[in-house]
Amino acid sequence: MNLWLWFWTISLVVAGTSFAFITVVVTIKGASDLKNWFSSLQRQNRE
Amino acid sequence: MNFTVLDWAIVGLYLAASVSVGLLGKRYVGKLSHYLVAGRELGLYVGIATLAATEIGTITFMYNAELGYKYGFAAFAAAMISGLVMIVVGRTGFVIRRFRELKLMTVPEYFEIKYSRGLRIVTGILVALGGILNMGVFLKIEGEFLTIVSGIDTRHIVVVMTVILLLELVYTVLGGMVSVVITDFIQYVLLSVATIVVSIYAVYFAGWGNIVNKVTTVMGDAGFDPIANPKFGLIFLVWQILLWFSVHTCWQTTAMRMFSTKDPETSKRVMTWTGFIFLGRGVLPMLWGIAALTLFGTGALTGGVPAPVVNGHTLAPIDAMPAMLANILGPGIRGIVVAGMLAATMSVNSSYLLGWSAVISQDVIMPIRRALGRGALSSRAQIFVNRVANLFVSLFLMFWGLYYTPPGAVYLYLNITGTIFLAGAFVCVIGGLYWRRSNVLGGYLAMLAGAAGAIIPFFFLHWSENVTGFAAFGLAAGGLIVGSLLGRPKVVATEQLASTD
Repeated sequence: MNLWLWFWTISLVVAGTSFAFITVVVTIKGASDLKNWFSSLQRQNRE
Repeated sequence: MNFTVLDWAIVGLYLAASVSVGLLGKRYVGKLSHYLVAGRELGLYVGIATLAATEIGTITFMYNAELGYKYGFAAFAAAMISGLVMIVVGRTGFVIRRFRELKLMTVPEYFEIKYSRGLRIVTGILVALGGILNMGVFLKIEGEFLTIVSGIDTRHIVVVMTVILLLELVYTVLGGMVSVVITDFIQYVLLSVATIVVSIYAVYFAGWGNIVNKVTTVMGDAGFDPIANPKFGLIFLVWQILLWFSVHTCWQTTAMRMFSTKDPETSKRVMTWTGFIFLGRGVLPMLWGIAALTLFGTGALTGGVPAPVVNGHTLAPIDAMPAMLANILGPGIRGIVVAGMLAATMSVNSSYLLGWSAVISQDVIMPIRRALGRGALSSRAQIFVNRVANLFVSLFLMFWGLYYTPPGAVYLYLNITGTIFLAGAFVCVIGGLYWRRSNVLGGYLAMLAGAAGAIIPFFFLHWSENVTGFAAFGLAAGGLIVGSLLGRPKVVATEQLASTD
């Protein structure tokens, strides 16, 4: 049981940390991604 | 009523902002590929946001918390499998790279390219039916969450959920995938903040030591070891691996995000990074469920686990987590968390509405029109058909979703309804992409055997979910192999493997 507890504790830390880290990165970098996407859609509509 | 004026203001502000931004999407929709696959121009970060938001809803939090409450840390196995399989699919490009290269808009579209129009229609019907029934339980459970956390009178919940469904319907119908992706981005940020806040609160209030002690006392080894837990075991783990491979490759709403990326390499990267989010998507709400067990699990034993008792009322295990949130979150924070959960609800529902209505229009209505000798519809007309299908799916959900109660653990019910079409579809896709011998007869046998293998054992023979799910995939694979060996192989020219806008 101790081994499983250690395994789940480490899994929880990895899962929680990566969830928070990716949220921050996507929030910051996603805005410019959105802008580029809108430009592409407008270009496609003009063509 | 648990909500203060501040909480209501936060939720109202979120709803107004979300719908307004969603309506902006309509101006960018010029053709069908914009409406269904965002013009195939999504970059990495928006791709991650929309994929994560699509597959993380209040329903996800509720069923994962229920699993945590009932089975302790052992439930983490299901969450870890879902995330790790996603990372493997992303890293290898298994199925998704080939799908993206084909420029598909729906999963059943591939069935006409590789197999036949008839099999595309059969698959389309099964996918839409299974998907809508799967989604059918969302509204009721999301309504339960909202009722318990906000304290809204249960008599008003039907009206509240109908209004929320109508709000997401407005921008989904008008702006399609463009509106869905824009709102997904905002909703992803909000739901992630709510997830992190709730996780911190849950551990702070329950205490890590108390959490471990409670699981040890109530469940013993079975609360930690998924193989020793009678609900799980090896067969469950193998079924979960198969199921999650099929979900990450063939689930319509997930696949639509892969079809929407700007190139196959981006789709692989989106899938890989979202895999890490998927670890948290499962594990964190399961932790909330275990925290709820620790704080409120004092009632009579049901299935070996004490029922949650909150403020003198005995609740179902699935309601323990929202009841915990209502008790531990303060004014303001409660509003932010509920806004985050509403964001999760709306992002899932809008994406699912679009996904299943796309299958109805593109894989059932359009192929039947062509089979009847009618000419192809213009892009604008196809968008109109999609919008009408969207309205019909919503109407069904309003009546079915608010009144139907799923039996047993919701997670397992959703898995089984998904397996009805996923077993056959996954096997056909793998066979079609990687086995030259697979043919139309094998495809039909796989779809029918997969559906029968899920429906008959579960609903009529009352086998366990694990054995049922495992049997469905086995029967589907057997059907494809036997049918393909008996029938003649279908040769597909490379130039046929291209879709239209």
